[in-house]
Amino acid sequence: MAFTAKSGKFSASINSVEVGCGDKKIVLGGENVLPFYTFDAPVENAPKVGVEITDSGLENEPECVKKYYEGCETVADMAKRAASFEGVDFLSFRMDGGDPNGANKSTEELIAMLKEIVAAVDLPLVVCGCKHAEKDAELLAKAAEAVDGKNALILAAKEENYKQVGAAAGLAYKQVVGAESAVDINLAKQLNVLLTQLGVDGKSIVMNVGSAAAGYGFEYAVSTMDRVKAAALAQGDVTLQMPIITPVASEAWGVKEAMASEADMPEWGDQEERGIDMEVETAAAVLASGSDAVILKHPVSIKTISTMIKELM
Amino acid sequence: MHKVTFKFENSEDVTVFAAFGESLLEVARKTNVAIDAPCGGNGACGKCKVKLMGGTLDSKKTSHISDEEYAAGWRLACISKIIDDVEVLVPDIASAYKSRMKMADLSSAEEVKIFEELKEQIAEVGIELKNNLEVIDVTMSAPTLDDTMPDNERFSWAVEEVTGMDKIRVPYSVIKKMAHVFRASDFHVKAVIRKTGKDVFVYDVLPASEEPVVAGIAIDIGTTSVSAIIIDMLNGAVLAKGSAGNGQIRYGADVINRIIESGKPGGREKLQDAIIKETLNPLILNMCASAKIKPAQVYRLAIGANTTMNHLLMGVDADPVRMEPYIPTFFKTNSLFASDIGLKVNPDAHIILAPNIGSYVGGDITAGAFVSMIWNKPEFSIFIDLGTNGEIVFGNSDFMMSCACSAGPAFEGGDISCGMRATDGAIEAIKLDKETLEPTYSVIGDPGTKPVGLCGSGIIDMIAELFRCGVINPKGQIIREGRRIRRDEFGMGSYIIAFEEEAGSVKDVELTEADIDSFIRAKGAIFSAIRTMLSYCDFDISMIENVYVAGGIGSGINMGNAIEIGMFPDIPVEMYHYLGNTSLAGAYAMLYSTEAERKVYEIAQNMTYIELSNVPTYMDEFVAACFVPHTDKSLFPSIQ
Repeated sequence: MAFTAKSGKFSASINSVEVGCGDKKIVLGGENVLPFYTFDAPVENAPKVGVEITDSGLENEPECVKKYYEGCETVADMAKRAASFEGVDFLSFRMDGGDPNGANKSTEELIAMLKEIVAAVDLPLVVCGCKHAEKDAELLAKAAEAVDGKNALILAAKEENYKQVGAAAGLAYKQVVGAESAVDINLAKQLNVLLTQLGVDGKSIVMNVGSAAAGYGFEYAVSTMDRVKAAALAQGDVTLQMPIITPVASEAWGVKEAMASEADMPEWGDQEERGIDMEVETAAAVLASGSDAVILKHPVSIKTISTMIKELM
Repeated sequence: MHKVTFKFENSEDVTVFAAFGESLLEVARKTNVAIDAPCGGNGACGKCKVKLMGGTLDSKKTSHISDEEYAAGWRLACISKIIDDVEVLVPDIASAYKSRMKMADLSSAEEVKIFEELKEQIAEVGIELKNNLEVIDVTMSAPTLDDTMPDNERFSWAVEEVTGMDKIRVPYSVIKKMAHVFRASDFHVKAVIRKTGKDVFVYDVLPASEEPVVAGIAIDIGTTSVSAIIIDMLNGAVLAKGSAGNGQIRYGADVINRIIESGKPGGREKLQDAIIKETLNPLILNMCASAKIKPAQVYRLAIGANTTMNHLLMGVDADPVRMEPYIPTFFKTNSLFASDIGLKVNPDAHIILAPNIGSYVGGDITAGAFVSMIWNKPEFSIFIDLGTNGEIVFGNSDFMMSCACSAGPAFEGGDISCGMRATDGAIEAIKLDKETLEPTYSVIGDPGTKPVGLCGSGIIDMIAELFRCGVINPKGQIIREGRRIRRDEFGMGSYIIAFEEEAGSVKDVELTEADIDSFIRAKGAIFSAIRTMLSYCDFDISMIENVYVAGGIGSGINMGNAIEIGMFPDIPVEMYHYLGNTSLAGAYAMLYSTEAERKVYEIAQNMTYIELSNVPTYMDEFVAACFVPHTDKSLFPSIQ
């Protein structure tokens, strides 16, 4: 008897969440199969790839990334350049400088920068905070206001500030709300419950369930994603059916494999190649574990991952 | 040297001299002034708040003290250094754990009901309500110049006659008083003896004209509190009942901290003194006075205590209990006598210890499991003891499994800023008005007693009500505002149950977000332990027919509320039964009935212990349960 493959599609599916507006808007999620299991059922929306720039412009970027932005004077210039890289689906603006323990830039200064970017590009936008929960409560609320009408993804509300960020982004300005938790399926779920109880529509939440560079406690991140997808699809848990976005660049470019110069580590070979490798490996792994979008930095990584996605779809 | 004066709300000042730079908490400890410091005194818990009335202390402000409080003189004792003569007020809540030893009023039927019911239940299952202590009449012929047999030989020979046994053991305490008692009563005496299959042991001799009291004491030694009863060994009647805080508490709120403290030089002696000299002996003395008997008439004791507590009681090294692979010195021992550890009762009194079955499942649980009677029922039941360590037993007449989880001291009021034991002044039940958020509560004590703090059952009610009224979200964060809701400068919210003027102490009675968080962890530990144990045995909650809940967390738990906050599984409330202090009840059974004692040993041997830390899914279950009612709402279908 001939072998008949059984479809492994689930009756539940991941929510489809639109980000951005106009011709360039993207849809995250929507699948009812395991990551890239297109043989079980068609996957309508391929995972998306974003490019990350920060409020410090070129200052903190690795040398190998700087060359791609040659001639850019302002962050808005960089945004335009980034939007032109091959394979980019959306733009992510990270306001690192707002951290009170770092540069402590004022909310006004950062929001002004964000507005310039909004005016400069028409790609869907992901707006990331400074990782300081208290500052983000204020900063991301203002950011939600500044991108009014753009249907941007505000990354992210956390347990400590979900009320302020959720209310501003999800209720007042109808942006997409990012929900960030620390590599634990239960904490991810709890935050989604809290946000929906606040009145945020579950269909406009995108999760960041935590991330790490490959090799740096990465198995926790991967297993959390695996389990979130299993609960969402196999058990039909509506409080976990939100698509997942994973910021990769901020993790991958901060580890020694990407940062150590060739002079310090001659046996490790070319630094740029190493950085790209870390970014590509991390991104490929989180996509295979169920991320619906990744945020990257190096144009070569972006092109590689975007090609990989196309090949697998 | 500086003069330090401790002032109290309801008792006399204590004055002591201390060196420059000494910690106020240390000075208090040395002086036996009770200031609660469950975190061990590192500024973490904020429970040791005292009010500076005069002089100056070198004391930092912490997140536990608001600006207004600091201005009003509130300081944390643990981080305050003596630099001047000072007067400090120790509020009731800070010393509440020691909260005045309390003798129960036995005229109320409630207090003795549990023991009467237990006796009936024991009789029903066919266990003989009898022990081997008895009183015999011994008549000897008086010695003469022709009959020169010494007293001891004369007496032993007479006892042989009466009992038909040929091995009679007469201890030193009896030899000492023999000559006098025999001659005062014309060699006609009563003897209190223990008769076993092998020999007869003589505890006491009295003139035949006296009616001897044969008393026994059952004690529950909890990590946080101690309670005990004196009974008549001949008919099982309860003669007196008392309770007190465990004096060891100043060395740490939980068993781990106690073990660490006992490992320091002189630590074992300090902890043994704290429980025996400071807690048990005064408690026994008070109970004997209230029962109008002499301590020397107490011939037997039975103790239900967790593994660490019975190790520290005996002065045995408890460190191996804490260290992998967690091996206690003993599960069972039957060679312990009152004089060995300095208990002020009859020196030959035998101490029965309810047997341990693991490092974290001790005699309190084996005694409790006996009382729950789950070992005698064909249907499946769960027995839960809500203490500093939550212990759970699951099974039926065919098998029993047990496990322990670290719930922390929250159920007994520890780790909660206004938490206290279930004693006078504790709010034990509470309701909120959904609109105004005004509370209605009942307080333990005489009518009119003002609230000082919350005991476990009060906290369960409080959290359930706050959740029902939409004051807190499932994470326990306060999301409504109102007259009774306050936020400190760090943004931490709290609900004020009784403002200072309504309260029976010098502080508001409040429940803070940090308290709620502690409690949610405690309830999460219990719920996840139940879930983990059931799934470990491949059982489902629907197979459970009865849940027996024990613990001294209040006179009763509102089971509906406990389910609503996700502490207990969502099964009909009729299946829940609150048993009160089963460790004490079990100790009572072991004390009064020799057959019950044997049964408890048998139960202990047949119980399998699961180490939850070895079950990979436990941590996951725990995080999922740290949410009100639970991260997985489908587990609580009855809650909207």
